[in-house]
Amino acid sequence: MEARSRNGLGASALASLHESWDDLVRLFANVTFGVFLLAVWAVLTLIGVVIDQGKDPTYYAQNYAPPLARAILRLDCDNIYHSAAYIGILGLILCSMAAATFTKVIPRRIPRLNPVKIDAIPLHAKIAVDEPVDAVRERLVAFFSQRGWQVRKREFGGTEWAFADKNNWARRGVLVAHIGFLIIAIGTTIYWAKGYSGQFTVLSGQTATIPESGAKIALQRFAYRIDPIRTKSGIVYQPIDYVSNATVTGRDGVGRQAVIRVNHPYDVDGVDVYQSTYGFAIDFQLTKDGRPVAGPDHPLKEGEAFIVDGTGRSIQYARFVGTIDRATGQPGLDPRPNDPGVVIQAFDGDQPVGSALIPLGTAVDLGAGYRLEAARYILYSGFQYRYDPGIPVVGIGSFVLLAGLCISFYFLPARLFVLVRERAEGGTEVGIAATTVRGYDVFEERFGEIVAALRRTHGVKTTEVPAAAALGTA
Amino acid sequence: MDPTRQSIDQVLLVVGISAYITGALVLLAYFLTRRPLLRTIGMPIATIGCVAQILELGARWWMTGVWPLTNLYGSLSMFSAMAVAIFLIFAVKYDLAFLGGPVLAAAAIALGYATTWNEGTMPAVPALQSYWIKIHVPIVVTSYAAFMVAACVSAIYLLKAGMERRYASRGLRGVIATAGGPKLDVSMNAYAATADDMLRTSRDETPAITQAATAGDGLAQWLAGLPTLARLDVMQYRIIAVGLPLLSLGIITGAMWAKEAWGAYWQWDPKETAALASWIIYAMYMHLHTRPEWRGSRTAWISVIGFISIMFCYLGVNIWISGLHSYKM
Repeated sequence: MEARSRNGLGASALASLHESWDDLVRLFANVTFGVFLLAVWAVLTLIGVVIDQGKDPTYYAQNYAPPLARAILRLDCDNIYHSAAYIGILGLILCSMAAATFTKVIPRRIPRLNPVKIDAIPLHAKIAVDEPVDAVRERLVAFFSQRGWQVRKREFGGTEWAFADKNNWARRGVLVAHIGFLIIAIGTTIYWAKGYSGQFTVLSGQTATIPESGAKIALQRFAYRIDPIRTKSGIVYQPIDYVSNATVTGRDGVGRQAVIRVNHPYDVDGVDVYQSTYGFAIDFQLTKDGRPVAGPDHPLKEGEAFIVDGTGRSIQYARFVGTIDRATGQPGLDPRPNDPGVVIQAFDGDQPVGSALIPLGTAVDLGAGYRLEAARYILYSGFQYRYDPGIPVVGIGSFVLLAGLCISFYFLPARLFVLVRERAEGGTEVGIAATTVRGYDVFEERFGEIVAALRRTHGVKTTEVPAAAALGTA
Repeated sequence: MDPTRQSIDQVLLVVGISAYITGALVLLAYFLTRRPLLRTIGMPIATIGCVAQILELGARWWMTGVWPLTNLYGSLSMFSAMAVAIFLIFAVKYDLAFLGGPVLAAAAIALGYATTWNEGTMPAVPALQSYWIKIHVPIVVTSYAAFMVAACVSAIYLLKAGMERRYASRGLRGVIATAGGPKLDVSMNAYAATADDMLRTSRDETPAITQAATAGDGLAQWLAGLPTLARLDVMQYRIIAVGLPLLSLGIITGAMWAKEAWGAYWQWDPKETAALASWIIYAMYMHLHTRPEWRGSRTAWISVIGFISIMFCYLGVNIWISGLHSYKM
């Protein structure tokens, strides 16, 4: 007795669970719910456009009102595209698409061939023809077949109906688009699971290694071209080309000459290496009371700093100045190193205590007997690398999605219901109605053209359109 | 560019912008008065403007050897040319000349604004030196243009639907009391309606406007002459159905280019994400348009919001937000 009761409870719990599951699936398959999720996705995406992403927390504190800066940081809006909320909404959208695909899109069959009340369908017309019924039926079949309609005849209660279908295959357009979206999601997941990317810089004459693959890139020479162009608002120094000449050594241990420039990545063992940045590394020399002392142990790149031993102060190489305007002593517009210099910034702990522009080859007094000279510059090249085995999958998904959109938009599945009857007053009446998967309005013009063509084809002598065809809402 | 070539460029630009301004005025007058003569004059002017602009972009390319869409001037110029071209195609195919006024006015504003970014011809920066620029940029700009034309249809839809609500809520007592002058045959005045057009004129979805028009209300008569709401909705859908696949293709080709130039097909760059947001909004439109209860004013509003998002993506991100797409000049 107790066991039976327990079984009953179990069955009822199972039924309740089943019901809840069905409710959940219904909710996720609901178009309006799907659109709500899309709206949230759009809003989150736009937040990421408006708020700078991936900056240091101090950046937000400096650039936004304190409450807003706090909200940005607490709600992960500083890195929104990798936040739990963003990934969560993408997950919900995929669930919604899957639910809609399996409960609505796939089960949707081509509607059965059933008779209809012609007058009850908003898009309908009636044509009177002064010819016998059989002849009209024959000509109607020929008329629709010639225009690419698939015509099928059925008899219901002794009355013959003709059904003409067009673009039935296109009913799967939405399914194709959803499948494309899912393939893209799979492709991006493959990158997350197996891919990697990174960036590195390498000075001319030096070698860098891609840690994940072990490939070596020895930079022989980096070259750039910047041209002065006269425009309406003055001279503009336009970058024209950046190019790295390197020897790349992959897994096979064979060094290969490579020319890497923007838009022309180099493939080494499936890892693409991209030209991304360049810069001027500076060889600084530090002296104290005229004697060389330990300064930076390598040429500094922009943004790098070194500590002056025993002072608690640090010197940062802030930026490179290609041309110093001799008249003003300030940085000139030309970025090319005609008369170069560097801007350095001194820090006492974290506090900036001053900055200076030093022409290359001259020394600046740092105090306490220290002097710093920017001795020479060395060009360096910045590369990005990326291994992404998901790219072909994303590519396929993109084109499947696009194909699905085009099928859905440009191929309208439509059905015509045609009933040919004898008229009491003699002759034949052709009743014709149309339905489509996207309502009636979208097919109105085409239907009008079909009716007009039918009239022409049948050479109607007297045309009667009883109770003008009405258009209703879909 | 030498002075002779520069003057050809200038002449074509002046012809384009003058044609848009004149065409906009003529077709706006047609929009308001519906005199067929204005339409007969306005449509060829619009065509001349569009052709002159396309020639100007082509001439720039031919004379300088630099692809003209490497800067904001070039892309805005193409945006206005494509908007007018899309309008002309739809106007010829679906009898939408009434749309010419707003579209040409917007094209003239876009082209006028473009000239403020015209710094002459410059070689492209390294990131733009790719065959992808000849594929990606025209596709994306054409999609923006399609959304602009769609937004114009949506605005007219919302105007008519809004006025219908207003007439319906106001009732007809006032209208009938103040009506005077000759009655207007609404169906004869309509853009789309013809004598044997039994399919279109049969359903009256704006009965309050029709009643007010029959009672002699001038504004109602003008509104009644606009295409039906159903037809405006279908036109808006058809134009967005041109824009959305183009935007999708634009995002895909942009991703392919990004893969080649920056190392990743998606960088979460502000321009990319703003385009994605716009795509999502139009995807929402397409989903909601399948629901009869949402079709109409709601989807028209989404179309307008989508276009605002497109403009933010196109101009706002380029001008105000720095990122990988900040070429500006």
